[in-house]
Amino acid sequence: MSEEEKNTEEAVKPGVSRRSFLKDAGLMIGAPGLGSIAAVAGQIATSPKAEAAQSPNQTAPQKITSTATTIDLTVNGGKYRFAVEQNWSLRQLLRDQIGFTSPKDWCGGQGACGSCTVIMNGRPVLSCMTLACECDGAVVETAEGIAKAKHPIIQAYINNNAFQCGYCTPGFVCTAKALLDRNKKPTEADVRDALGGNLCRCATYQRHPPAVLEAAANLGKA
Amino acid sequence: MKTWKKFAHVNAKTVDEAASILRAGKAVALSGGTDILSAMRFEILPNYPEVVVNLKSIPGLDYIKEESGILKIGALVRMEDIVRNDTIKAKYVALAEAAHRTASPHIREMGTIAGNICQMPRCWYFRLPDNRFYCTRKGGKMCYAMAGENRYHSIFGALKACIAVNASDTAPALVALNAKIKTNKRLIEAEAFWDMNVPGSTVLAADEIVTEIQIPAPAPGVKSSFIKFAIRKSIDFPIVNCAAMIGGGTARICLNAVYNKPYRATAAEDAIKGKAINESSADAAGAAAVSAANPMPGDRNKWKIPIAKTMVKRSILACS
Repeated sequence: MSEEEKNTEEAVKPGVSRRSFLKDAGLMIGAPGLGSIAAVAGQIATSPKAEAAQSPNQTAPQKITSTATTIDLTVNGGKYRFAVEQNWSLRQLLRDQIGFTSPKDWCGGQGACGSCTVIMNGRPVLSCMTLACECDGAVVETAEGIAKAKHPIIQAYINNNAFQCGYCTPGFVCTAKALLDRNKKPTEADVRDALGGNLCRCATYQRHPPAVLEAAANLGKA
Repeated sequence: MKTWKKFAHVNAKTVDEAASILRAGKAVALSGGTDILSAMRFEILPNYPEVVVNLKSIPGLDYIKEESGILKIGALVRMEDIVRNDTIKAKYVALAEAAHRTASPHIREMGTIAGNICQMPRCWYFRLPDNRFYCTRKGGKMCYAMAGENRYHSIFGALKACIAVNASDTAPALVALNAKIKTNKRLIEAEAFWDMNVPGSTVLAADEIVTEIQIPAPAPGVKSSFIKFAIRKSIDFPIVNCAAMIGGGTARICLNAVYNKPYRATAAEDAIKGKAINESSADAAGAAAVSAANPMPGDRNKWKIPIAKTMVKRSILACS
């Protein structure tokens, strides 16, 4: 489903849609769909807090329960403000509230599989073990953002068939991208070491190192 | 995915503020979160905390610096930053290697050094979700592993009626490197830092917080090493690991995952001290290290003894 279709579906869905829920919370500035992020980001990039104060919607009493906190974060270049419960994980926020569904839940939140990996402030982290309320000011990148930016890692994964069912792939892609951000010319040993925390049930492990090395070779060309 | 039950989350601004919240009770300290958040999600402990105190928001605790011959590592330094630090890689080899072999890259990016040394045990009775085994480690009266499945448990007997092992990789390295651990109350020798506690693994009081790790620079000619035995290269906790620092007539050797706390192999130290390191002397020291081993009745964890012996031998050979 394209982002436009997703937005349309949310707009016409009766009852409590994700969008109406967020509006009720009275705190959302960024729109959940990617399509409108660029415009919104442009508006609030200078000072999201000042914008919030000026907006008439924001002056109404905020419906925050005693444990909800407000966080500002950047996801894939879009700026978001959310009221989050303190027991939400970053993965819940990304998937259930914003709609970036690439961080997967495989091991059930034990930090054992790496399929919920996102890049936060340059580090590959497990979004299931990160509290959303601690992400204030964070810059988060998910596999959607890496694909949208046409990072060479995506084409390299396709060229090398480095997946079968694809469930674990977003985690691998985020981990590999974080490695390439840190180390432009990794060796095969570096790649194997960096991907050591990602599990793949289809066992395509041997195809990941060539894919990441191909992406590293193509980094400057794109 | 199982979600966390409700808790109140506080971003501490100072160590004192965090300590005062912990002192009030029903609170837990959170730094990297890779241990405590998983324990909370699966409700392995009898009492769910009401307050989670975030220590990551305390400024100025994430430094690595060498001052007058002592390496000082702030409590909030991530494991991966230790792995990548050139000073540690060059001079404190055992710590660099131990940090590198800890868990997975993601967990090293999140987890802190203080959290790694304060982690709770991995005993499967202790860790079973929903507190289904109210064992001695949780304040109960029985150690279920003693009568049950104990193939990964202590080969040196129980400590205060608990045979779970300490699963930290950096702990033996810190003991071998003769480190000191600074808290908001005192300075503790690494060797005296761990103990069977309910439910923790350290001697820390409820409102005590690790602030710094101090490691004296090894004298010239003194070498250190760390070796880990686990099923997989990444992610796994150790089955047995061993760190050694040998040279200049001294030897410090520490095994872990063989006892309730890091097990300093003094018999092996005496066997290798001042001797030339070679295959036979290392082998003899390895045999000395496990001479006091006492596997559980039924010998279900007896297989760990030759592994511990070999880990000691190889860590000594790596210091030659």
